[in-house]
Amino acid sequence: MHEWALADAVIEATAAALEGRDPACLRAVNVLIGELQAIDREIFDFALTTLREERPFRGARYKLETEPAVFLCAACGREWSLQESASLTPETREAIHFLPEAAHAFVRCPSCGSPDFRVQKGRGVSISSLELSVDGTST
Amino acid sequence: MCTAVAGIALAGRGKRVGILDLDLQGASTHVFLGVHPGLPKEDKGILPIPVLDNLHLMSVAAFTGELPLALRGAEVSEALRELLAVTQWGTLDYLFIDMPPGIGDEVLDLARLIPHMEAIVVSTPSQVSVAVVERLLAVLGEMHIAVPGVIANMVRESAESVKDLARRCGVTFAGEVQYEPGIESAVGAPGALGRTGAATALLLALEMMRFSPAPIIRGIPRRGGTG
Repeated sequence: MHEWALADAVIEATAAALEGRDPACLRAVNVLIGELQAIDREIFDFALTTLREERPFRGARYKLETEPAVFLCAACGREWSLQESASLTPETREAIHFLPEAAHAFVRCPSCGSPDFRVQKGRGVSISSLELSVDGTST
Repeated sequence: MCTAVAGIALAGRGKRVGILDLDLQGASTHVFLGVHPGLPKEDKGILPIPVLDNLHLMSVAAFTGELPLALRGAEVSEALRELLAVTQWGTLDYLFIDMPPGIGDEVLDLARLIPHMEAIVVSTPSQVSVAVVERLLAVLGEMHIAVPGVIANMVRESAESVKDLARRCGVTFAGEVQYEPGIESAVGAPGALGRTGAATALLLALEMMRFSPAPIIRGIPRRGGTG
């Protein structure tokens, strides 16, 4: 599943972020999931659990939060959400799930119809923060 | 054209070949290969589209079909990284990455993400093409990207201008592909493309580059300048 590749990237990013630190200090990882990724959270969560089984930070919690998509038209300045976009079919949503930039093939500014827009929010999967325990206290 | 035909030719020799079409705004490799991709299958990532038993393709066309895709710079980089990260190629003998013309985000991103890649550079004999390609070679040299060779494409009379370019830049002239009026009718038919003169010429060029050390270009003198 596509979710596995993204989960693998999150685990690798966690390991990289912990370099030079005691992995036992890691209490939680806050993961921001862009709405455009349309991740199956159950599969993603299962992948995260499975992929970190052999890692020294396996005991840390992974907290998932969805970031709603926001588009900004470069032509007229209109901002709009995914819900405000002209109705997307299940197939086009699936295409955007695989490759969020594919939105530029299917979405147009609801005000002026321009294809020239930027995805301001809701793209990608990222680690927004790590929660570490330092000397027995949480930070 | 060269990427598609080279891929077909090598696959015909039993090699396991992948082609990644990174011309996101002008994807055309699927047209050459006669593939009308739908959404790819998934298996811990996305699976490239089978063209032949041992030739697979990943293209943005799998997600957008023939719809236009207007992207700005940062979005090109995002899409490129996504395709590189999640495509499950399996074991390949060759991965060809088909690049758009120019020295844009795609070249700059790949140089950073895959610093060990080798750039096979293609130019037509036109003085316009040679001038543009010379700039590309200069930048590749500055980024320490190995260039195993330069190929002259669509040669009608002489490839001398491209040979001169290769000499000036200190890279191997790997061969020439003659202009072939009949190639248009072979577009979309991998079998027919594999039987063209272009396929033979590209195989020879690839063999030439395989046995030729790939120099990293340094200090290409600029035309009209000193040094």
